[in-house]
Amino acid sequence: MSGLEDFLDQFADGVDGVCLFSPSSSMFESYDAEPPVVVVGPENTVGADSFVELPLDFSNPTERVRFGIEGAVQQGLVDEEMTVLCALKSFGDDIDTVMRVRAAEFTRSGVYDLFVNSRAEPAVIRNVLEVSVELGKKGQKGKPVGALFVVGDAGKVMNKSRPLSYNPFEKSHVHVGDPIVNVMLKEFSRLDGAFVISDSGKIVSAYRYLEPAAQGVDIPKGLGTRHMAAAGITRDTNAIAIVLSESDGLVRAFKGGELILELDPEDY
Amino acid sequence: MYPGQLQTVPAQLDVPALIRELFSEKGAVAIAIIVLFLGALVGYLVWRGTRRFLISQGVDDAVEGTLFERTVNNVGLSTVGILSQLMALAVYILSVIVAINVARIGNPQFFWMRFVELLPRLFIAALAIILGLVVGDKAELVVNERLKSVKLPEASLLAEVVKYSIYYIATLVALGQLGVATAALLILLAVYAFGLVFLSGLALKDLLAAGAAGMYLLLTQPYSIGDEVKIDETRGIVQEINVFVTHVESDGEEYIIPNQRVFKSGIVRIRS
Repeated sequence: MSGLEDFLDQFADGVDGVCLFSPSSSMFESYDAEPPVVVVGPENTVGADSFVELPLDFSNPTERVRFGIEGAVQQGLVDEEMTVLCALKSFGDDIDTVMRVRAAEFTRSGVYDLFVNSRAEPAVIRNVLEVSVELGKKGQKGKPVGALFVVGDAGKVMNKSRPLSYNPFEKSHVHVGDPIVNVMLKEFSRLDGAFVISDSGKIVSAYRYLEPAAQGVDIPKGLGTRHMAAAGITRDTNAIAIVLSESDGLVRAFKGGELILELDPEDY
Repeated sequence: MYPGQLQTVPAQLDVPALIRELFSEKGAVAIAIIVLFLGALVGYLVWRGTRRFLISQGVDDAVEGTLFERTVNNVGLSTVGILSQLMALAVYILSVIVAINVARIGNPQFFWMRFVELLPRLFIAALAIILGLVVGDKAELVVNERLKSVKLPEASLLAEVVKYSIYYIATLVALGQLGVATAALLILLAVYAFGLVFLSGLALKDLLAAGAAGMYLLLTQPYSIGDEVKIDETRGIVQEINVFVTHVESDGEEYIIPNQRVFKSGIVRIRS
């Protein structure tokens, strides 16, 4: 067995930090303090000092690692020069995968930025993403639908758009995340135009026609007008936009005029 | 102390006297034994009934995790068990007293009279202490759970205050039942309650005013998100309205304005 142990020693050689993804408390406690540990997960159940919150249950391990490392680098828990060992669950309910990554190997995608450094609260963004994913999975009455949610900086977004028809959410006080509201959003998704959602998650309006200046917006070719409008509005304001594509069924998030995140609803 | 009660006690004790008159001495002893048996049976039924009632009401789940339950669990008991045993014990003791009175073993009339008078109050006192301990602990747990997101050491102080307030009131009830003079403690409680109401009123004055104004603003929506407004000298676009504050933003500066200020100085909607 010495061959295997040598291999593992080599693998763990020169590692400057460790990322544990949703560890059990017994596992976390059995781990020594050296080298520094960062816990990544949806909730800090083990009471770790260094913690990166995972807002989405990324099914793809590389996505999860990318988010965790980006978060750790942004929070200053991990240095860009460090080599980090990541332990995570990919198949079972226990930690079964170990990855060795250099923090600098990543070109920053801004996924962590999207959640944490946006105007809107991370929980609101997560809720909107969840609605989009659910909508993409089931469609509206079996037919694929498209939708566009603009989240945050609602005052400015309202001034950069105009109503296509009467606003069904006028004088209502509904927030994303309530189960009944998700049903409502799905029903209203057949309306044309965008949903505008405020920083705290209040649904300000539906039926909005976005009028950003679209010059110089650079998004991958082949995406339609909905994506173009989404990218444009996020460049003109501090909002982020979450788009469900009608043609390919993917959920995409835009910030600052750039495509940040691409999810396949079928994976969740 | 209670003249009314002293008169009713001889009336209760008439029953054994009546039995003794109706039957012979031997008969009275037999009936006393029957009373004892019946007492045991009723006591058992009361124990089972109380236990089942408490469990069906979910009391055993509700007290889970409180300090009292844990302490009691350490000696192999449970809160529900103790409460139901207390009830059964009351029935047992009552039946023993009745039996002794019927059989007339000795003549400790005066002692038993006082004991019978004191007994229910003793039970209520014990009940008050147990309830106080359980409810106090539970309240502390609930408050702590609510304040979990506030990672401040001072926040746990609030839970402690709630817990000891409930302990204090329970002790007061128990002592009152036992006939201990509680006037001084009561005055302390009144001062404490007054202080709490007064101070919180003082502290929450602005929040209450903002909340009342916010209710109106949310219901009638004189301005909504996206409107350009001017409040006092602050001009900008409304970003958010909630119960207490309105967020107004202009050129990268976000003003958070308490709602009562919107009311006091009025608001200018800029239409252009």
